Amino acid sequence: MGGRDGLSRRDFLRLAAGAGGVVAIAGCGQSAAQTGRGSQPAAGQPAPAAGQSGGAASSAPIKVGASISTTGSNARTGLYQQEAYLLWEKQINARGGLLGRPVQMIIRDDQSDPSTGQKLYEQLITDDKVDLILGPYSSGVTQAVATVAEKYRYPMLAAGASASDLWSRGDRKYLFGVYSIAESYFTGVVEIAQKEGYRTIAVVSEDTLFPKSTANGTVKLAQDKGLQVVVQEQYPQKVADVSSLIQKVKAANAEVLVGGSYLPDALLLTRQAKDLDYNPKLLAFSVGAAMPDFGESLGKDADYVFGPSMWEPELNTPGNQEFVRAYMEMFNREPDYHSAAGYSACQVLEAAVNAVGALDNQRIRDWLSSAEMETVLPGKYKVDANGMMIGHDAITVQWQGPNKVIVWPAKYAQGTYKLPTPAWSQRT
Amino acid sequence: MVGADAGALALAQVVISGLLLGAVYALLAIGLNLIFGVMRVINIAHGELLMLGSYATFWLFTLWGVNPIVSLVLVLPAMFLLGALLQRTLVDRVVGQPLLISLLLTFGLSSFLIGVALNLWTANYRSVPAFSGSIVVGGLALSISRVIAFVVALAITLAVWYFLRTTRLGKAVRATSQNTEVALVCGIDVARIRLLAFGLGTAMAGAAGSLLAVIYTVYPEMGRTFLMKAFAIIVLGGLGSFGGAFVGALALGVAEALAAFAWNTQIAEAVAYAIFIGVLFVRPSGLFGVRE
Repeated sequence: MGGRDGLSRRDFLRLAAGAGGVVAIAGCGQSAAQTGRGSQPAAGQPAPAAGQSGGAASSAPIKVGASISTTGSNARTGLYQQEAYLLWEKQINARGGLLGRPVQMIIRDDQSDPSTGQKLYEQLITDDKVDLILGPYSSGVTQAVATVAEKYRYPMLAAGASASDLWSRGDRKYLFGVYSIAESYFTGVVEIAQKEGYRTIAVVSEDTLFPKSTANGTVKLAQDKGLQVVVQEQYPQKVADVSSLIQKVKAANAEVLVGGSYLPDALLLTRQAKDLDYNPKLLAFSVGAAMPDFGESLGKDADYVFGPSMWEPELNTPGNQEFVRAYMEMFNREPDYHSAAGYSACQVLEAAVNAVGALDNQRIRDWLSSAEMETVLPGKYKVDANGMMIGHDAITVQWQGPNKVIVWPAKYAQGTYKLPTPAWSQRT
Repeated sequence: MVGADAGALALAQVVISGLLLGAVYALLAIGLNLIFGVMRVINIAHGELLMLGSYATFWLFTLWGVNPIVSLVLVLPAMFLLGALLQRTLVDRVVGQPLLISLLLTFGLSSFLIGVALNLWTANYRSVPAFSGSIVVGGLALSISRVIAFVVALAITLAVWYFLRTTRLGKAVRATSQNTEVALVCGIDVARIRLLAFGLGTAMAGAAGSLLAVIYTVYPEMGRTFLMKAFAIIVLGGLGSFGGAFVGALALGVAEALAAFAWNTQIAEAVAYAIFIGVLFVRPSGLFGVRE
């Protein structure tokens, strides 16, 4: 026995500090270990030369690589995008493939972590020797991955990113937007707030690239429309408690609360607003509010909440109904706009490869930078000189009972919005 | 005048929110403290035990509509048994071994449990939409879910305190915690006490998880955030001090809430770490700990 008593409180402190370190280090280490549903190339199968195989004669599959956040805080949204990629893979192979060759998607899990995404794309391009790449989910991961795409000159459609920062520096040649920039997400909401005569607005957001971009854009939009921004604040990713923040917004008497959020924090903000009896006249969230999961998780509490959306299943865009049907058949759930954006990116990539007629990344890039085409998204695919999307039409939805209703812009509207939002205590 | 009143009201509201949450932190920290006291094992997997409690409550609620408070009737004994099982099969092997071994074991256990949860239940964020809304008392909005969590956490904490203070078995736990060898000499069945302590600690973590499920979101990696908070609380309150951990937990809850209100939520997240480091520098024995 023996040797057990020598342990003092000091030892505990030292150990506890060490333990904290171990946990932190492990958090980083895990990322490299996990790979998603990446498929290993079969032994003995000749790997096509990276990006330049020319598409002739060869019948080996065309490899399309991407990382998606299928675990971590953006997992729920990321999965929608991944499913769209998988649907396209299935459909294009059923149609006889791309340039007459089968398509093989290689998707890895970046765990919602930008540096992991960066590593994975580097791996996809150099080890897996993929022929084409598609974008990851979230602006933060895309920002990190874009440098890899630039380095290896692989054109990338940013199927899950919209922060204008990605394009504003003007030095990116291989990154192309698929839907409207984050800064413009709340154009509809701010316009509606102004029309209703609301004067004060609070803008809160997660402190990562995309949410910050939506928040900054919203503040500017609100100021332009004469609304007074009474609170502007950020909170960390994976935040567990926003009650003090809600308290602050409540004390500032904000009539409008806009959350630059992803799904988990949108749910948290709504729940805690109710718990603390904060009753804004208009409540809106960027990502989250437009997802079917929002209504499922919150039930009646989702009612009256606004959200920007990039796409809705009811839209009459070309091929949309077929897309929704095929998606529901394959995954047993309704697609959301992240699915549609992923699918749209696949449509554009397919068109680009077909137009060029070869796996020539340089010519595909040139086509992507100048082409215009319609996809399942409203508006059209059309980018500016920096690759930033300018042809897409963002829309705004509101939860009314169990349904999301498109309320803005008039061109796409299915109904009129309901305001002001009743107090929590006056709802049944 | 109205402005000042509103300010004071908002401040009171923030402090109350922090206190309500602090009681749940206490439940977690006291369990961790208990395990360390009896076995000298720092249980890195404590946060994951909390996570399991959260999922138990989530599934009971989602599948069968079991009220989260009622679910404690199942969660507490189930987690106690799980803890006893873990102790018997795994943790007991590292008691008395160099501390690195026990750190590695419980760290491995922690990663394993996260992996299992990711595979079984995916990374989705879940919530238990029971007890939403608030009771408004004199202008203060008290979140119903937090009030319930506070009351239950306090009740369980008091029950454990009473058990350790007054019962024969509880005294044996404290004796083992103070000096294992002497306890052994006095005829205390130390192996059984360890089983009891790990079971009890696990049950408390599970109960904290059940209560947090009602307030926050449930996901496989939720445990790590709370583990850090528990460490900070123990360091603040003083190791081995039941009362210290309790006061430390309430203090952390309030400090976080105030920091978020005065500055922002980003700073609030750092409060636990700041306390951790600050106490190590200024008073390594903690507020209620005994200096050696």
